[in-house]
Amino acid sequence: MAGVICLILAPIIGVNTFESLWAVDPFTYLGSALILAGLGISLSSYVGGEFRRHSTQGLNGNHQGNSWSETTLQYFQLFDHDLGRPLRRIAGKERELRAVMQAAPGEADAGVIDLLDEIERQTPNFRLMMSNIQVLIQLESPDHDETLQPVEPTEVIRRIADLYTAVAAEAGKEITWWSEPAEMGLVYANSNAIEHIVTNLVDNAVRYAGTHVEVKLSNNPSHFFVRVWDDGPGIGPQYVQHLFDRGWTPEVVRREEKSSSGLGLFIARSLARQLGGDLTVETDDNADGDHHTAFLLSLPSNLASQTNGTR
Amino acid sequence: MARVKTGQKILIVDDESESAILRAVRRRLEEEGWEPVVVQPESGHSLGEEFEAAALWSIEEDLPNAVLLDVRFGEHRDDQFRGLGILGEIVERWPKLPILMFTQYSQGQDRETAVRGSLKWDSPVDFIDKLASPDEVVLRLRRLIGTSPESIPIGTHILVDVNSRLVYVGTGEDRAAALEIQGMKFEIFRELATSWYRSPGELVAFSRLERFSEGEDPRASLRVRIREIKDAIGKAMNTQFGSSELILNVRDQGYRLVPPKP
Repeated sequence: MAGVICLILAPIIGVNTFESLWAVDPFTYLGSALILAGLGISLSSYVGGEFRRHSTQGLNGNHQGNSWSETTLQYFQLFDHDLGRPLRRIAGKERELRAVMQAAPGEADAGVIDLLDEIERQTPNFRLMMSNIQVLIQLESPDHDETLQPVEPTEVIRRIADLYTAVAAEAGKEITWWSEPAEMGLVYANSNAIEHIVTNLVDNAVRYAGTHVEVKLSNNPSHFFVRVWDDGPGIGPQYVQHLFDRGWTPEVVRREEKSSSGLGLFIARSLARQLGGDLTVETDDNADGDHHTAFLLSLPSNLASQTNGTR
Repeated sequence: MARVKTGQKILIVDDESESAILRAVRRRLEEEGWEPVVVQPESGHSLGEEFEAAALWSIEEDLPNAVLLDVRFGEHRDDQFRGLGILGEIVERWPKLPILMFTQYSQGQDRETAVRGSLKWDSPVDFIDKLASPDEVVLRLRRLIGTSPESIPIGTHILVDVNSRLVYVGTGEDRAAALEIQGMKFEIFRELATSWYRSPGELVAFSRLERFSEGEDPRASLRVRIREIKDAIGKAMNTQFGSSELILNVRDQGYRLVPPKP
C-alpha cells in the first residue's frame, strides 16, 4: 500500500523537490521497491502456509491437516457413541438371554441358540470395524501420540488368542499360539498399536483359515516378530500387491459385495511402519499343495534407546 | 464339572451384580472353585460414592485375592467413571491386589484414562469388556492372580493334582489315580496342563518339554512319553486317543493339550 501511495505522489512531490529529475524520482524507486517487497511477503506467506499444510497432512495425502482430523475424530466419536450404545444393548441382551438359558439347560431350542451365535459372531466384526476407523483417524492426525510404554508382547498375544479361540471354535477352527523364547520379557512399544495390528491379522486369519490358525511370537536382539499363519486357500500372486491397499478385499476382484471395509490390513501396515517396523505377507494358493497365508509383523524392541534414555 | 476348591476369593463391585450376565460370571467363578463375594451398599442405592465406601471396607474385611470392578455405576454423569476413582483408591492402598475392570470397551478412552492416570505400568490391573464370556473373565483372573492352582481340572474326567504329583481320571467315586503317569511323564503333563490352564490355545514348544526327556534323541523320547501318557489316560477312560486328541503335535513345533470332548 505504501508503495502505491509513493508512486501516485511521486510526480507531484518529485517535480517540486527534484525539478528536472522527476522521471528518476527516488519516490518512484521507493514506491516500486515497497510494492515488490509487499508482493514478496504475500507470496512467501502463501507458499509457507501451503507447505505447512502439506507437511502435516495424513497418510493418503488428501486431507486438510490438523483441523480436519480433529473435526473428523469428534464426529466419529459422536457416531461411535450413538451407534455403539444400541449395539451394546443388543449384545448385552443376547448375553443375558444366553445366561438365562444356561441357568436352565435342556430347555433351549437349538434354533434359538443358532440365532444367538449369529448375533454374537457379528458383534466383534462391527466393533473391529469401528475400532479400525477410529485408529485410522488418529493415524492421520498430525499430533497423534507415539509414546512408547513397556509392553509384554506375550501377554498381548495371549489375550488376543484367548479372545479369538472361542470365535474360531464356533466356526470349527483352532488357534494355536506360542512364544520362542517362552519368556520374552518387555519391549518398549505402543501396546494399543500392537494389539490393534495383531487383532486385525488374527481376525483375518480366522475368517479365511481352513481349520488352523497359528500365531508365533519370536525376537532377535533389536526386533520382535509376530507371525500369523492360516491354512486357508491362499492369495493369488496377482492380488498380493493390492493386499495392503486401502479398501481392497477379495470380493473387489469378484465384483461381489464386500464382507469387510478392507481397512484392516491397510491400517495394520501403516501402523507398523509408523512404529519403525513393517508388515509383510507370504502366501501360496496352490490348491494341490501346502496352501497357506502368513503375515509377518516386525517391530523394534526399542530396548537400547530406552536404556540409554533416548527415543 | 469337577469343582476344585482353590480358596480364591473374588470381590465383585458392580451395581448390576444381579443381572443375568453377572450371575453367569458368578456361576462360572464357582465352577472354578473360587468364592465370589458381592459388594452390597447398605442403603441399596447404586450411588457411586456408596459403592466406593462399601468396596474399600469389603476389601479390608474380606481380604479378596482379586477384585472385579465396573467402570460405570448407574446413569448419573458423576458416576460415569466412578469405577476409575475406586480403582485409584484400591491401587493406592493395596498396590499388589489384582483388579479386573469391566469396561464398555476394553480399549480406548476408559483404558487410556486409567492407565495414564494413577496407575503404574506394572500394576496388576487388566481391562475386559463387560460383554466378554464368563470363560474369558475366568481366564483373565487366572493370569492376574498369577498363581498356578494346586489342582487343574481338564474337562470333566481328568484332574492334575500338583501336590500329590498324580493325575486322576474319572468322576465321583470312580475317580482314580493313573499311576503310570509319574516322574518325568507327570512333569510333561503338568507343563501342558498349566499352559492350557493359562491360555487354552497355548502350545508348549519342544524346547520347554525336552528337558523332561532323555537319551540321544530327546524328541523321540518325548514322543514315546506323550504316547504313554495318552494310553494311560485313555485306558482309565476306556477309550483310545488318536493323534488329534488330548495332546496334539502342532506342525512339529511342540505339543498342545486339548480337553477330551464329553
